[in-house]
Amino acid sequence: MAASYARELIATRELLLNLTMREVKGQYRRTALGQLWSIINPLATMLVYTLVFAFIFRAEPPPGDPSGLDLYPLWLMCGLLPWMYVTRVITGGVASITNNAGLITKVYFPRMHLPLSVALSTGITFGVELGVLTIALWIFGGFPLPWLPLVVQAMGVLAMFATGIAMLLAILNVHFRDTQHFVSILLPMWMFLTPIIYPISLVEDAAARAGEWILQVYQLNPMLHIVEVFRALLYDNRLPGAVESLAAIGSASVVFAVGYLVFSRHERRLAELL
Amino acid sequence: MSGVADDTAVVVDQVSKKFRLFHERNQTLKSAVMRRRRIVADDFWAVRNVSFEVPQGETFGLIGRNGSSKSTLLKTLARIYVPDEGRVVMNGRVSSMLEVGSGFHPELSGRENIFLNGSILGLTRKQVTARFDEIVDFSGVETFIDQPVKNYSSGMYVRLGVAVAVHTDPDILIVDEILSVGDGAFIEKSRKKFLEFTGQGRTIILVSHSLPQVREMCHQVAWLDGGRLRAVGPTDEVVAAYGASIEAESS
Repeated sequence: MAASYARELIATRELLLNLTMREVKGQYRRTALGQLWSIINPLATMLVYTLVFAFIFRAEPPPGDPSGLDLYPLWLMCGLLPWMYVTRVITGGVASITNNAGLITKVYFPRMHLPLSVALSTGITFGVELGVLTIALWIFGGFPLPWLPLVVQAMGVLAMFATGIAMLLAILNVHFRDTQHFVSILLPMWMFLTPIIYPISLVEDAAARAGEWILQVYQLNPMLHIVEVFRALLYDNRLPGAVESLAAIGSASVVFAVGYLVFSRHERRLAELL
Repeated sequence: MSGVADDTAVVVDQVSKKFRLFHERNQTLKSAVMRRRRIVADDFWAVRNVSFEVPQGETFGLIGRNGSSKSTLLKTLARIYVPDEGRVVMNGRVSSMLEVGSGFHPELSGRENIFLNGSILGLTRKQVTARFDEIVDFSGVETFIDQPVKNYSSGMYVRLGVAVAVHTDPDILIVDEILSVGDGAFIEKSRKKFLEFTGQGRTIILVSHSLPQVREMCHQVAWLDGGRLRAVGPTDEVVAAYGASIEAESS
């Protein structure tokens, strides 16, 4: 059943592209700055976090090795941009079924294209952001270019992870509309539990004082490993460690597989539940 | 398609569809936890044991009063709902027009929406491009084709939606009441298009409340009453029986 659903998805791939274009084109219509907004947003977030965490809290991430980069804003963005992608895909994906109720109850098409189109259209924004970040890293002395092919693969892993969660929660949201509100509370918590705006060394220090188990529990978070992979490639300009890479790929595959199975099993009944 | 003759477009075989009626309307996590998995719901059979066959190249009408589950049956045929019992066999590519312009994005232009809506209805980009001029011509919104559709009048919106839907060239077209919208000239144009359809061996299944329209367009009709099939057969007989029952009730 899962395989025949996959065939149907592939046969209707043009619909996926059109739904993606709908998201991309519709998003910034009637704004003066248009697609520039997708750059302004992360820039503004970068300014705020740099002000608060580099100047007030004095977070000091280790310099890039071997890149030699030592700039908090750039270090931050190497982790924050992947995180923002996850946030947008999950929030957008969770609501993608309920927001398109009008379409689902009137036409048949493979419903999975809705969360997938969110992941793709957000992926375009993410790609542009990473492009700008790459140029900035280059200007400030790093040399990320040779690592870009691996960055693209890491983006794929990240997309699988985010889409898997989004598909799972989208189904749950049809049954319990509370889900989308829970998600908006849980996502910021999850961010602060991941070493995105502060270096993991702070948690290691805390674990050394209070007990090693803290670090072990902390490392169960798949996003920690995915962020490490992005930082290794972009900020340090080196191959990510085997443990991080395997943890990232493994968790993304499992999460995507579960999301896919749950979604494809429930999608036939979505129209009557909406 | 085992057991289906070549000239049969649609087989509806003992189809039933049920809905669950929840006594507590609020679907929140809290109420689910409070109920402790005990779901308070009744089954409501919206469609019960309906069977009929539609020959290829014919127009088939569904009639019945409000709430007789015509639209539920239509949605089951269009794969939007899954039958709980029985089966539906469709011989060919199906396209449904249950609501015109579903999937239009208000901020996108008419042109962009034609491509978007075309692909929702199962057309490839190439096919839409090939039919683009025809679609625009049929809709009569040429001058506004590059305007966002939210600026369209409701008539233009509907005409563009119908134009895309009738140009998807499916083997089987499922239509819900859409001929009741638009002005006289446009209805006439759509009617001609439908005649052209069946002339090409395509099949149409439609719901209509307009008995004159059903008489004029349909070869066969099914009369639904409270989710059950009351009668099925040649249009004149079934429509006459239906008309008589309504008259008997209102007098």
